[in-house]
Amino acid sequence: MQEHILSILIFFPALAAMFGFVVHKDSVRAYGITVAAIEFFLSLWLWNLYDPMTSGMQFMEMAPLVSAFGISYLVGVDGISLFIIILSTFFTLIGIASLTEKRRVKDLIITLLFLEMTMIGVFAALDAIVFYVFWELSLIPMLYIIGAWGGPLRIYASIKFFLYTFTGSLVMLVGMLFMAYFYYQATGQWSFSLLEWYRLILPVNIQMWLFAAFFLGFAIKVPMFPFHTWLPYAHGQAPTIGSVILAAILLKMGTYAFIRFSLPLFPDASVAFMFPIAIIAIIMIVYAAMVAYAQEDIKQVVAYSSISHMGVIILGIFSMNVEGITGSVFLMIAHGVVSGALFLLVGVIYDRRHTKLMSEFGGLASVMPRYATIFGIMMMASVGLPLTINFVGEFLSLLGFYKQSHSYTLVAGTAIIVGAIYMLSAYKKAFFGTVTNEKNKNLKDVNRTELLGLVPLVVVAIWLGVYPKPLLEPINNSVEAIVQLMHDKAQTLEAKQRIPDLSNSAGLNSTQEAH
Amino acid sequence: MEITLTHYLVLSTVLFAIGLIGVMRRKNLLMLFFATEILLNAVNIGMAAISHFRGDYTGQMFAFFIIAIAASEVAVGLGLLIVWYKRTGKIDLDQMTSMRG
Amino acid sequence: MEVYLYIALFAPLVGSLFAALFGAAPKTYLTGIAASGLLFTSFVSSAILLNYVLAGHTVHVEMMTWIAAGDLYIPFGFVVDQVSVTMMMVVSVVSTVVHVYSIGYMAHDKGFNRFFSYLSAFVFSMMVLVMSDNFLGLFIGWEGVGLCSWLLIGFWYHKESATWAANEAFIMNRIADLAMLIGIFMLYWNLGSLQYDVVFANIATLPMHIITWIGIFLFIGAMGKSAQFPLHTWLADAMEGPTPVSALIHAATMVTAGVYLVVRANPIYGLIPEVGIVIASLGAFVALFAASMALVNRDMKRIIAYSTLSQLGYMFVAAGLGAYWVALFHLMAHAFFKALLFLGAGNVMHAMHDELDPFKMGGLKKSMKWTWILMTLASVALAGIYPLAGFFSKDLILEVAFVEHHYVLYTVLLLTAGLTAFYSFRLVALIFHGNERHLEHGIHPHEAYTFMLYAMAPLGVLAVIAGMAFKTPYYLMVTHLLPAMTYHIHNHTTFWIMTIGTQLFVIAAITYAYKKYAKAVKVDKKVESGLLYQLLYNQYFIPKIYDEVFSKPYLKLSKLAWKEIDLKIVDATVDGIANIIYQTGEKTHTMQDGNLSSMLRWMVIGLVVLLVLAVAFTAGYNAVNLQAM
Repeated sequence: MQEHILSILIFFPALAAMFGFVVHKDSVRAYGITVAAIEFFLSLWLWNLYDPMTSGMQFMEMAPLVSAFGISYLVGVDGISLFIIILSTFFTLIGIASLTEKRRVKDLIITLLFLEMTMIGVFAALDAIVFYVFWELSLIPMLYIIGAWGGPLRIYASIKFFLYTFTGSLVMLVGMLFMAYFYYQATGQWSFSLLEWYRLILPVNIQMWLFAAFFLGFAIKVPMFPFHTWLPYAHGQAPTIGSVILAAILLKMGTYAFIRFSLPLFPDASVAFMFPIAIIAIIMIVYAAMVAYAQEDIKQVVAYSSISHMGVIILGIFSMNVEGITGSVFLMIAHGVVSGALFLLVGVIYDRRHTKLMSEFGGLASVMPRYATIFGIMMMASVGLPLTINFVGEFLSLLGFYKQSHSYTLVAGTAIIVGAIYMLSAYKKAFFGTVTNEKNKNLKDVNRTELLGLVPLVVVAIWLGVYPKPLLEPINNSVEAIVQLMHDKAQTLEAKQRIPDLSNSAGLNSTQEAH
Repeated sequence: MEITLTHYLVLSTVLFAIGLIGVMRRKNLLMLFFATEILLNAVNIGMAAISHFRGDYTGQMFAFFIIAIAASEVAVGLGLLIVWYKRTGKIDLDQMTSMRG
Repeated sequence: MEVYLYIALFAPLVGSLFAALFGAAPKTYLTGIAASGLLFTSFVSSAILLNYVLAGHTVHVEMMTWIAAGDLYIPFGFVVDQVSVTMMMVVSVVSTVVHVYSIGYMAHDKGFNRFFSYLSAFVFSMMVLVMSDNFLGLFIGWEGVGLCSWLLIGFWYHKESATWAANEAFIMNRIADLAMLIGIFMLYWNLGSLQYDVVFANIATLPMHIITWIGIFLFIGAMGKSAQFPLHTWLADAMEGPTPVSALIHAATMVTAGVYLVVRANPIYGLIPEVGIVIASLGAFVALFAASMALVNRDMKRIIAYSTLSQLGYMFVAAGLGAYWVALFHLMAHAFFKALLFLGAGNVMHAMHDELDPFKMGGLKKSMKWTWILMTLASVALAGIYPLAGFFSKDLILEVAFVEHHYVLYTVLLLTAGLTAFYSFRLVALIFHGNERHLEHGIHPHEAYTFMLYAMAPLGVLAVIAGMAFKTPYYLMVTHLLPAMTYHIHNHTTFWIMTIGTQLFVIAAITYAYKKYAKAVKVDKKVESGLLYQLLYNQYFIPKIYDEVFSKPYLKLSKLAWKEIDLKIVDATVDGIANIIYQTGEKTHTMQDGNLSSMLRWMVIGLVVLLVLAVAFTAGYNAVNLQAM
C-alpha cells in the first residue's frame, strides 16, 4: 500500500465522491467528514513515511498513458509539495467539519471531495500533462461552488474566475507543448516528465519565451498584479467554504508551480526576470495593502490581504537562494492557514448578520469575546508577529531577497507596516468601540461546530510559529536540491552569480575543516 | 497545339469559379446541388490531370473517391430535398432559416 | 542555575495563560493573586541569578531550534549575563509591584482577568527581549511587547481614543521594526549569524560603511520602541491605557528597550562613534523637546509621559557617548521612580474619578497623605536631588557629557534638568497643594487601598536608595561586559562647582514651581494665547502634521487606489477585453442568419482570404529566404 499511497491519496476522495451520490441526504455530512478525515490521516501517514533527509522525489509512481508522446501518469512528493498536500487535506476536513451551508449540502460535499482530488493531483503530479489536467480540473468544482452557492453576483464572478484562469492556463499549455517539442528535438524522444525536463539545458532566448508562457498561467492563478481582479469578485461572491479553499490552497498552485517549473527549468530566464517580477511583487504588497485599507467589506480586506501576502511569497521565490525559497514555501503553508482561518471567521459573522460591511458592526469584542479573541490571534498572525506561523515565512522570504537587493527589500518590507495598518483598522472598526447597531446586541458567540474548525487552525498557527522545524527541515532539503540544480544549469554569468552554489560552499567548509 | 497541364488546370479553375459563383448566387436548392457537383468535378479534373502528368496514380484514386462521395452526397441530399419539398412545397433557400444563430 | 532561568522566564507566561483561562469568566481575585505570585517567583529567581552573576558567572542555555533554513540557524537561546540580569531585576521588581497594585486599581473593572493575562504576557515578552542570546530572539520580545502594549493601551476598547492610540502605537513601532529587520538582515548576510557572541566577535572585520548602516538601522528600531523623535507621538497617546500599564510599560520597561538594544549592541556602536554622536544629539534634543511639552500640558499622565520621553533622551545621550553602563544605570533608577510616579498618579486618578487635569485638583495632601509623600519622593528623585536615585544616575550623564567635551549637549541637559524639576513640582504643587478645587466638581477624594500603598513602598525605598547603595556594586558587575569608563572631573573645584551649581539650579526651579502653583492658580491669559504656549500645548503641532501629511493622504490614496485604479483601470481593462470579444460575437452572429446561401457566401469569402494569405506568406517567406541566401 505504501508504494501506491499517492494514487490512493489522489483518487480516494474522487471515488468517495462517486459513492456520495448514493448516500442519504441526512447522513452525507457525517460521510463527508469521515472521508475527509480518512484522507487527512492518510496524508499524515504519508508525512510519517516521508524521509526528511532525502531531497529528491519520494513515493514515485509511474504508468504510461500515451507512450508515443511520452505522456505518463507520474506522481511523487518532495518536501515542497508534501506539506501543501497535507494542507489541502487538512482544509478539506476543516471546511467540511465546520460547514454551515444549508442549501444542497450533499452536492457541496461531493464537489468538495472532487476538488480535493484535483488539488492533491496538482501538487503530486510530475508529468506536465497530468499536472495540466488536474490544474484545469480544479477550476470546475470551484466554478460550481461559486456559481451555485455564491452571492448575488455569483454568475459574473464565477465566469470571470473561470475564463480568466483558463485563458492563462491555455498559454501555459502551449508552453508545455513547446517544451516537450524542444525535448524531442534535443533527445529524439518525447517526454512530458518534469524530471526528464530538468535535465535539459535550454538556450537562453528560448528560456525567455517559455518562461513568459508559463508565467502568464501561473501569474493569473497567484494572482499577480495586474491579473488579480478576478480574486476580489470570486471571494466576494463565493460562500465561506469556497473562499477558504480558494485562498488556502488554490492560490498556492501558482506559486508552487513557479518553484516546480519556472525556476528549475529556466534558471537564466528566472534570473533575468527577477527584478521585473520583484517590482510586480512589491506593487502587489503595497498596492494591495492600500486597496485593502480602503475596503468597506471585511471579506474584501482579507481578499486583498491575500494578494499582498502572495507578493511576499513571490519575492521569496525569486530570491533564488535557499533561505528565501524555503521561506516562501513555508509562507505558502502559513498563509494558507491564516487566510483560511480569517475567511472562516468572516463566515461566522456573515452567518449571523448576512452582511460583511464593517460599518454594520462595531463593538463586537464585548458581544462575542471568544470570536474577537480568535480573530485577534489570527489577525496578529496575518500581521506577522513572531511566534506565529506567518512570521517565519515572511522573515525568511524577505531575508532571502535581501541578498539580491537591499533597496527592493526595504520597500517590500513595508509589508509589515501596511499590513498592520489595514488589519488593525479593520479590527478596530469591527470589534472595538461600543455596540451601536441594535442587531449586534444579541449576537451569539462562536458555537461548537465553528470552534471545531477554528481551534485547530489557531493551534497550528501558533505551534508552527514556535516550532517550525518539522516543516522547515524537509522543505529546506528539497529546496537545496532545486537551488543546486538551478546553479548547475545556469549559463549566463549573472545567473551563476545570483544563484548560490551549495556544493561548492559545502566543499569549501569541509576542506577548511580538513586543514 | 498540344494540351498541357496548364490547360487542364485553367479548365479546372474556370469550372471551380463557376461552381463557386453558383454556390453563392443560386437560391434554388437543386441548383445549389448542381453547383456543388461542378465544384467537386473541377477538383476532380485537377486531380486527374496532375496525376496523369506526374505519373502518380494517387490523384486519380482520390478523384474516384470524390466521385463516390459526391454520388452519395447527392443521393442523401436529394432525398432530403424531396422530403423538404413535400413538407413545404418550396425549395427556396431563403426560406430555410431554422438554423439562424 | 538553568532552572532559575527558566522559572524567571516562564513564570509570567504561566501566569498569563492561567489568567487567560478565566478571560471570559467574571472577575476573580484569584487571577490577580496568582499572576502576582508567579511574578514574585520570577523576581526571586532573578534575584538568585543576580547573586550567581555577581559571583562572576553567566548562564547561557539553548532551549531548542527555532528557525533553521539554508545557513541560517536561530535557536531559542537565553543568556543571563551582567546586562540582562540588571534588566531582569528591573522588570521583575517593577512588574511585581505593578501587578499587586493593579489588584486594587482594577478591582472594579469588568476586564480584571483579561488585564492580568495581558500584563503577565507583557512581562514574559519583556523577559524574552532582555534574555535572548540573539537578535531575532530579541525581536520576538520586541514584537511581543508591542502586541501587549497594543492590547493594554486599547484595554478599554469601547473608547475610540484608546483604540486609536493603540493602533497608532503599534503601527509607529512597526515602522521602526522594519528598520530593525533590515539591520538584522544586514547582520546575517555579512556575518552569517545572529547570535550576539558571534556577531560581536566578528563585527570589527566588516567594512566601516556596513557597520555604520547596521548601527543606523538598529538604532532606528530602537527609536520606535523608545519613542524618540520623530516617532514619539505614540507615547503620549498611549496614556489612554490603564495607569498601571503606563507605569510598567510606558515608563519603566518597554520604552527602555531601545536603550537596552543600544547598550547590548555596544560592540557595534563602539566602532562607530559618529553614529554615537548622532544618537546622543538626538537624545539631548528629545530630552529638551519633551520637557518643553511637559511644561504646559494639562493632563497629569501626559506630563509624566513627556517626562519619560525626556529621561529616555538622557539615556540615549549616555549610550551615544559610549557610557553604556551609565545609560543602563539611569534606566534602572528611572524605572523605579517613574513607575512610582505613575502609580501615585493612578491613586490620584482613582480619587478624582478619572479626572486628569491637575488644574481641577488641589490640596490633596490632606486626604491622600501617603500618595503625596510617595509622589513627592519620586519627583525629588526625578529632579536629581542628593541623595536620591536621580542624583546618581542623571547627574552622572551630565558629567559624561562634560567630560567628553560635548558642552552643547551638557548645556542642553542642564537646562532640561531645570525644566524637569519645574514641571515635576508644578504637577505636585497643583495636585497636592493649594485650594481643593475639585470640591466644585463634587468630588470627595479618598486614599487608595492600604495594600496598594504597601505595594508602592518598595519602589519608594528603591527611589531613595538605588543610587546610593547600588552604584558601586552595579558598576563592578556590569563592567565585566560593558566598557569600563569612569567619568571623573579631575579638577576638584570644577567638580564641586558643577555639582552644587546643578543642585542649586534644580532647587531654584522647584521653588519657582511651588511659588507659582502651590497657593493659588492664576491663569495668565496673555501667556496662554502666546505663540510659544500654543506651540508647546499643541505638541509643536506634530500630531496634527502627521495626521495631515501621512494618515489622511494615505487613506485618500488608498481609496484612490481602490476606486480609481483597481476598479476603473485594472479591472475595467480586463472587463473591456472580455467585452470586446463578447461584442464581436454579438455583432457578427448576424452572419449566421441561418440562410444557407449567405453562409456559403461567407465561406467563400473566408476561403479567398485564406488563399490570399497563404500566397502572401509563401511569397514573403521566399523573399526573405532568398535575401538571406
